[in-house]
Amino acid sequence: MSSSIPPWRATASAPSTAGAFTTATPAYIPVQARRSLNHHNKSNPSTLNGAYQPAMSTTDTAQTRVEFSPAIRTYVQRCFAPENQIASVSTAEMQEKLREVITNAAKNDRLNAIDWERLQLPQIIIQNERNKILANPSVSSWAMSGQPASPGDASRKRKSTEHQQTEPDSPPWRKTNNRNRFEDRVTYPTTEKKSRMALDASSKSKANLEMRKKRFEGAGATYGNSATSSPQPEVDQGPVVGRCEKLEKNYFRLTSAPNPDTVRPLSVLKMTLDLLKKKWKKEGNYGYICDQFKSLRQDLTVQHIRDEFTVSVYEIHARIALEKGDLGEYNQCQTQLRVLYSQQLGGHPTEFKAYRILYFIYTRNWTAMNDALADVTAEDKKDPAVKHALNVRSALALGNYHRFFMLYLDTPNMGAYLMDMFVDRERLSALAAICRAYKPDVTIRFITEELGFESDEQTARFVIDHSSAELLEEKSGTVRLLTGKAGGLFEQAKAEAHRVVDIKGQI
Amino acid sequence: MSTLAAEFRNAYIHGSGPALATVFTPIATTNSPHRLSSFYDFTNAQYLTQDLASSLFHGKGLKVSKAEQTAWVNVFAAYWEAVGEVLKFEDGHSEASAAAIFKAWKKMAMALNKGYTDAGFPAWTLPCMYTVGKFLRTFAIKADNEAASQSSTTFGVLDDVAADVEKNAYLEDGARIINRMFTLCLTDRAPIEDSRKWGIYNITSLLFKTYFKINSVGLTKNLLRAINAQSHELPPLESFPKSHIVTFEYYIGVIHFLDENYTEAEKHLSTAWRMCHRQAIKNRELILMYLIPCHLVTTHTLPSKQLLASFPQLELFFRPLSNCIRKGDLVGFDAAMAAGEEEFVKRRIYLPLERGRDIALRNLFRKVFIAGGFEEPKEGQPPVRRSRIPVVEFAAALRIGTHATGRTRIDIDEVECLLSNLIYKGLMKGYIARERGFVVLSKNNAAFPGTGV
Amino acid sequence: MSNSTPQGKANASEQPQQQQKPQVLEEDDEFEDFPVEDWDQEEAEQSATNEGNDHLWEESWDDDDAAEDFSKQLKEELKKVEASA
Repeated sequence: MSSSIPPWRATASAPSTAGAFTTATPAYIPVQARRSLNHHNKSNPSTLNGAYQPAMSTTDTAQTRVEFSPAIRTYVQRCFAPENQIASVSTAEMQEKLREVITNAAKNDRLNAIDWERLQLPQIIIQNERNKILANPSVSSWAMSGQPASPGDASRKRKSTEHQQTEPDSPPWRKTNNRNRFEDRVTYPTTEKKSRMALDASSKSKANLEMRKKRFEGAGATYGNSATSSPQPEVDQGPVVGRCEKLEKNYFRLTSAPNPDTVRPLSVLKMTLDLLKKKWKKEGNYGYICDQFKSLRQDLTVQHIRDEFTVSVYEIHARIALEKGDLGEYNQCQTQLRVLYSQQLGGHPTEFKAYRILYFIYTRNWTAMNDALADVTAEDKKDPAVKHALNVRSALALGNYHRFFMLYLDTPNMGAYLMDMFVDRERLSALAAICRAYKPDVTIRFITEELGFESDEQTARFVIDHSSAELLEEKSGTVRLLTGKAGGLFEQAKAEAHRVVDIKGQI
Repeated sequence: MSTLAAEFRNAYIHGSGPALATVFTPIATTNSPHRLSSFYDFTNAQYLTQDLASSLFHGKGLKVSKAEQTAWVNVFAAYWEAVGEVLKFEDGHSEASAAAIFKAWKKMAMALNKGYTDAGFPAWTLPCMYTVGKFLRTFAIKADNEAASQSSTTFGVLDDVAADVEKNAYLEDGARIINRMFTLCLTDRAPIEDSRKWGIYNITSLLFKTYFKINSVGLTKNLLRAINAQSHELPPLESFPKSHIVTFEYYIGVIHFLDENYTEAEKHLSTAWRMCHRQAIKNRELILMYLIPCHLVTTHTLPSKQLLASFPQLELFFRPLSNCIRKGDLVGFDAAMAAGEEEFVKRRIYLPLERGRDIALRNLFRKVFIAGGFEEPKEGQPPVRRSRIPVVEFAAALRIGTHATGRTRIDIDEVECLLSNLIYKGLMKGYIARERGFVVLSKNNAAFPGTGV
Repeated sequence: MSNSTPQGKANASEQPQQQQKPQVLEEDDEFEDFPVEDWDQEEAEQSATNEGNDHLWEESWDDDDAAEDFSKQLKEELKKVEASA
């Protein structure tokens, strides 16, 4: 019995239907000003010192002759307060982080600028850093964003090329001449190695401080800078400037930052494209061409080249892929082109919008079709190719095979390559309808004309291949299709042909 | 003590999930315009956890395990941070951002989830999970909009220039947390009377909504698979609150609808419709938005005048189409489709509505049949409609239906094609005798099945 | 971000991005949370007092308009078709 009601209603006193969503009506209870709360004054100077000592012992603050304000002392005290301890963060870890926080603040002359009262406790900082990683396992790719890697970070294992990459971009706090007086005077009692590590780590925590500064101080920093904290990993590495002069290059999937020595600059890529066009015409070696285009696209990407040339590269690759019936590759290009067109970079958007519609007819992806229709503007509809594709779509949607095959025979641009992919399928649909509707028979000539076949022989062959020779009969000199005897034969063949289309590179 | 803390204690003492959910609703109300700011001002970062610990759990009447106390303090601490960001945002503070709110809220959601896994938060607190998830989604959408208005395009993937993925980065991030909630509900092993399984449909609907928004309807299938695999351990759907059922059925219906599985879609949408609260106008309208096209496709019926009368938007969408379908006015139908195209496409009802043209055509041809009158009466027999109708008569009707001008040539092959389609789809019964140039229709009131002739 | 050619950059930044990918369902298509969690069937769309779906759906054809008129119109049109065929 108890299992038939949800638990939040199980208790007698819980409102049965009073909704979770009825507006909140808390009675307003005046709150004491925060500083007068009694228990906060219980702090004991000895705990303060006790807490303070272990935290600062490693940095030997006594020698720095820096006076710590009461705010910092209170902060340190909070760090060690038992109720603020987090089980998963050890005291040693916390102390290390605390030291970083204070050292950095001092190093950057920000000891008085920081709102210590609101500053996150080191254990919380540590926990958040961990959470970030937990929540987003791919976060290690942040190391590629040119930020200094902290010790032990996965990124240390990365190849040296990457460090070369990031060198010119390294953040100011990494540069040796950027250390200020305070840091020079701090004596690290640890080994040289240890102190270097501390430096690395503290740079990172400085970045954290910077973020918090922006959040709480209203210093007028622009929000855009905090983009590094966006929830997705920052794969963006900043553009590479290539210096490879070779025209041809095999495609390899990038697993690390690109090496400028192997990336071709735009001027070279333009020559590459000309070369590839010639080679395609002359040799027609699709495997080679496709590979070359992929490396061409990759070089454009890593250099952040996104202009009319980019569009033409994708368009040409898409057309070649279409011609060879490589719909997986074609679809990749098409997806990219859609984004590029939305940025008005030129090219031939209507030609490809038309292909897109035809493509989704083929894949019968109606959700994507809906998107494609949404992309078509009133202006686009005046374009013959777009108009054609839209008509093809609606003819099929309404089962108007008559119109469909008239459109098929008059397809602009390279749309016929796409229509060829589904024309047989639609012939079977049409035959299924014809066999249901016409009695007792029709001439093969009628089918040839109606379904866009090239000859009666081709029609007959098609009928035999998909049903049975029994359905054809010669009567007084004309071959007839015995529609009345077809039964479910074309229905079956149609269902067979409409099974899910499987395309490489498509889910 | 903060009002929210008092609310929390009160909710907890009574074990009221809805009341608890109210605590975590980050909205000031007219009755209590300062509930958020008073919560935020009641402490500061320095004393946050202490203040929370004492105000939430000190005193009489509340017996909560130490672990749970700590977990709630963590949730509240994160909530406090998030509220700070919300207030900052509302104040128009220069550093405020929707992204910051999202990030803070996400921490809170994670703290809450942790409470369920590690500290044994009881199942009656589930409405609180839903509310936190719901606002996570809301804030993520805001943050994405904010990012879209600020950032230029970024380069996401290495091999290709344009990445389309970053647009919903925050919501995708949020979806992962909500998905975690889904798992927490589905896989709870506690006895059913105190199981988080009671939260499953509510959280699933929230996740559906989220996947819809990030254009990943495909992911909903994974959820359904997971639910089906557990179905024997879930309480029967009927025993859930109606709000859960209706929302869930609505989304299941829409998912089938988008798959063009209109029969299945109609089933679920009809259930949602029947159980929907009569005063939930917006939701009823949404259900009908999809149920009406379903009906058109599956049963060839149209929404009645009474039905549309209470929904002006639906009236606008469906009235002209319905009228044209009924009259067999093809030109009017095409015009109504063109006029509504943008909205129809946006709502993804264009494709099924388009099929209404077949019904309009059926009605036009049906008129031809009726205009054909009756055969020569035979002695003592009831009158029989003329059943052999020349194809040219249908061609002539098409000229009327399409408002063809005098010169327009009618393509008899196309007329036959349309006829063959109606026959194939079962909207007309009979056959085309091509050589003889006429259509032979069924007698005995079966020529146009279901329409009385 | 940055484009290698200045023109490309100008293009990209000056032209407002349009044609954002349409969402599956738009914001205003969103199913709302109910203000109450549960209710009696009496308050539901289909209850004892609000019975059946009969009034909701209508047949998709009607015989109301003058069949005579259509008949006449059809004959007129037929002449034209036969003339053009």
